[in-house]
Amino acid sequence: MSYLLFIPLMPLLGGMIISILYILGLKYNMKSEKFFGKIALIGPFISAVLGIKLFLDTNANEAVTHVVFEWMRVDELALNLGFYVDSLSSLMVLFVTFIGFLIHLYSTKYMSKDKGYGKFFAYMNLFLGSMLILVLADNPALMFVGWEGVGACSYLLIAFYYGDSENVKAGNKAFIMNRVGDFGFVVGMMILFFAVGVFGFDFASLKANAHLIPIELVYIITFALFIGATGKSAQLPLYTWLPDAMAGPTPVSALIHAATMVTAGIYMVARFSFLYSSVPAIGEMIAYIGAFTALIAAIIALRQNDIKKILAYSTVSQLGYMFVAVGVGAYSTGLFHVFTHAFFKALLFLGAGAVIYALHHEQNIWKMGNLKKLKIVYIPMLIATLAISGIPPFAGFFSKDEVLLYTFASGHTGLYIILLFTACLTAYYMFRLFFVVFHGKDESFTHKHIEKPPFEMSIVLQILMLGAIFAGFLGLPEIFGGDNEFAVWLQASLTYPVNMPHVSHATELKLMFFGVLSSSIGIFIAYKKFYRYGEQKSSLFMKFIERKLFVDELYSVVFVKTTKHFSRFLWEFIDNIVINKIVDYSSYSFAFFSKRVGSFIQNGYIRFYLVYMIIAISLMAMFLEKFV
Amino acid sequence: MVNEILFVAVVLFLIGIIGVLIRRNIFTVFMSIELMLNAGNLSFIAFSKDLALNSGSSIAMIVMAVAAAEAAFGLAIALLIYKHKNSLDIDLLNLIKG
Amino acid sequence: MEFFTIAFSVLAIGGAIGLLFFKHPLHGAMSFLVTLLSVAGFYALLSNKFLFILQIIIYAGAIMVLIMFVIMFLNVREKELIDENFLVNKFILGALLLAPFAYLLFSSVANYTPQNIALAEDFGTIQSIGLNLFTEWMFTFELISILLLGAVVGAVVVAQKESKNG
Repeated sequence: MSYLLFIPLMPLLGGMIISILYILGLKYNMKSEKFFGKIALIGPFISAVLGIKLFLDTNANEAVTHVVFEWMRVDELALNLGFYVDSLSSLMVLFVTFIGFLIHLYSTKYMSKDKGYGKFFAYMNLFLGSMLILVLADNPALMFVGWEGVGACSYLLIAFYYGDSENVKAGNKAFIMNRVGDFGFVVGMMILFFAVGVFGFDFASLKANAHLIPIELVYIITFALFIGATGKSAQLPLYTWLPDAMAGPTPVSALIHAATMVTAGIYMVARFSFLYSSVPAIGEMIAYIGAFTALIAAIIALRQNDIKKILAYSTVSQLGYMFVAVGVGAYSTGLFHVFTHAFFKALLFLGAGAVIYALHHEQNIWKMGNLKKLKIVYIPMLIATLAISGIPPFAGFFSKDEVLLYTFASGHTGLYIILLFTACLTAYYMFRLFFVVFHGKDESFTHKHIEKPPFEMSIVLQILMLGAIFAGFLGLPEIFGGDNEFAVWLQASLTYPVNMPHVSHATELKLMFFGVLSSSIGIFIAYKKFYRYGEQKSSLFMKFIERKLFVDELYSVVFVKTTKHFSRFLWEFIDNIVINKIVDYSSYSFAFFSKRVGSFIQNGYIRFYLVYMIIAISLMAMFLEKFV
Repeated sequence: MVNEILFVAVVLFLIGIIGVLIRRNIFTVFMSIELMLNAGNLSFIAFSKDLALNSGSSIAMIVMAVAAAEAAFGLAIALLIYKHKNSLDIDLLNLIKG
Repeated sequence: MEFFTIAFSVLAIGGAIGLLFFKHPLHGAMSFLVTLLSVAGFYALLSNKFLFILQIIIYAGAIMVLIMFVIMFLNVREKELIDENFLVNKFILGALLLAPFAYLLFSSVANYTPQNIALAEDFGTIQSIGLNLFTEWMFTFELISILLLGAVVGAVVVAQKESKNG
């Protein structure tokens, strides 16, 4: 598998080459979009092809480590730059590179006429490379390198339109919140190293030695690592950066904040499943956090008016579903939802991008409407919205249903009810979006000019649509005749908790029915309200929701303002007054004493100097006395 | 006998040091320095006799030569200082202060 | 020999004390002369004929004469003399300062056991000292000659009148 290195390497190289060319291009005023676009696609294309090859080459029951070189060796810490290929990572590589390539293709047209065209692709390639490093890493430290890399690229891309300071603030917010999570990740990693790092710090050794770690440490490690996941995957309480991240270009939202980066948290939990499976209590905590995140995000999404913000909150909500799944121990279920979600969420974002493109960068859904005629966007969006609402036979149904199934089966009925209700809300707000954007106005309403999406954009939409339709069948459960190949494929890489619940087929069918029922209720209500001309009543509760439950304001007061005031205090009081006074005083006293004492001692009279000499000689004589 | 002479030499040496320390007159200081040199010479000769070596005497001679040279030169400078400051006080020579 | 040792010691130390306490430098010089002569006497007691003579000729005869000459040349009068009071107090203070060093020296002197090696026949004669000087101390001798040359030249240069153009 010597080609393994090229999978992350090609996008990284591409990113570097494009950045050099971009800078040179800036200097010599050459910005050919075709040129940059073509180069930008080479890296992801090669990675996608190699990713498919890798997937086909991988044996589901065997994990292969391919070491490129030894990164560092300090005492007991021996880290390699190596790639760990098992069923989990090859699967992740497959859809990351595939969707990554599609979105790159889409952006070649979406970002046209933007003056930072080359820069955009440099960042995107860099992001893809980092994500691949994250997924393929053979030790937690290298994974962290990728983790940080995607965080950095996320910042760069969110703040892409840096002319507006709001975008930069959003980028900062994303990065800083990510950082808070990263602290947890690092702490977890460190404790893990101290526990069993001596026997080797790569995933294969860690998995083999996991039973050696005392259980208290496992609790702390998993908790700390989960904090990292909270930051990266936008769960409570570190989710507020994701809606703000919509300030970046739409392909960025599609790739990073829907399909790949945000799923890094789930991947991490799955990767460390050998730890998480032995601490069901932490899993329960994860599940609760995931469920409440899903609920709250869905509630906030009910009253959002920006098409991308709705999708952002829906991402947070769906990530909550994924965390519930891994929380109750159904790791492959969570990853299955990651997989299907990548397809339909990317499709939703890209479709929204096509709508925005068509209406010349309008993002308020109330200014859209009656876009039914744009069939090339209409149909994929419809499919994607049906998928996310969990309507069979589209992809979202199978994965969401499996999540609900395992939640119920694990005995957490409360969580199940929350998730069921959230599914209803999800269907409601997604179809609210759909109806308002594509129907919603009178037949006679037309826009000034609708820009048809170019070929590259629409072909991507079609391909993703196929994914949204068929991806679910990979996890076809037994009652429909399939044998859940998805879970089987991942079996060997994951460690499941000891008592995985099992449900009868009858219960499964009942749960499925309830799921579909709740989604349909949501769709129906949305249809009634928004199909023709939707109006939104604003009660007090609605106002509260509209203001995103004041979470941002809460954070601002509790964290931001206190830090700001504390810093100001430190600056004005301690730095200006205390430290300045100390420095001034010490220099003043030095000058004063040197004037008084120095001038007294060094008065130019030789006799005095002689006295000093004699004192010195006497002291030396006293010292020498001992030897006489 | 040698012990007593050495004792005298030490006493003369110490008196010479104190002389340099407490007097402000250039010439007195100068002569105190000569006193110290003499004390050293005396101890050299005493040891020369005690150890029956002639080296001590040679060294004493050399020291005397040095003292002569120094006397000549130093007095020339003392004259210049007197011409400049019109006084024999060495406490007026404090340009190296600070 | 005892008598001479004591006599010379008293004279030497007395002369030194006198040098220290006389206000007028000329009186101090006279006192110092006494010290030098008694030191010469010590040399004689130590069977060093050559240096006995040398001390009188060079030290008492040349250096002291030079010093007295310069003192008298400058014509220092009584009223122009510097006010130096409290000499005794300063002396005591200085002695105190020097006490440790003095203790060191005295103790090392006291602990010295004289070896009293028998003297050769021609110990202290000009020949033997000369031979020793020109064999063992040849290099030093040459350097001393350069030093004397330097001193003479330096003295002449330093005491020159300022040139009319400078």
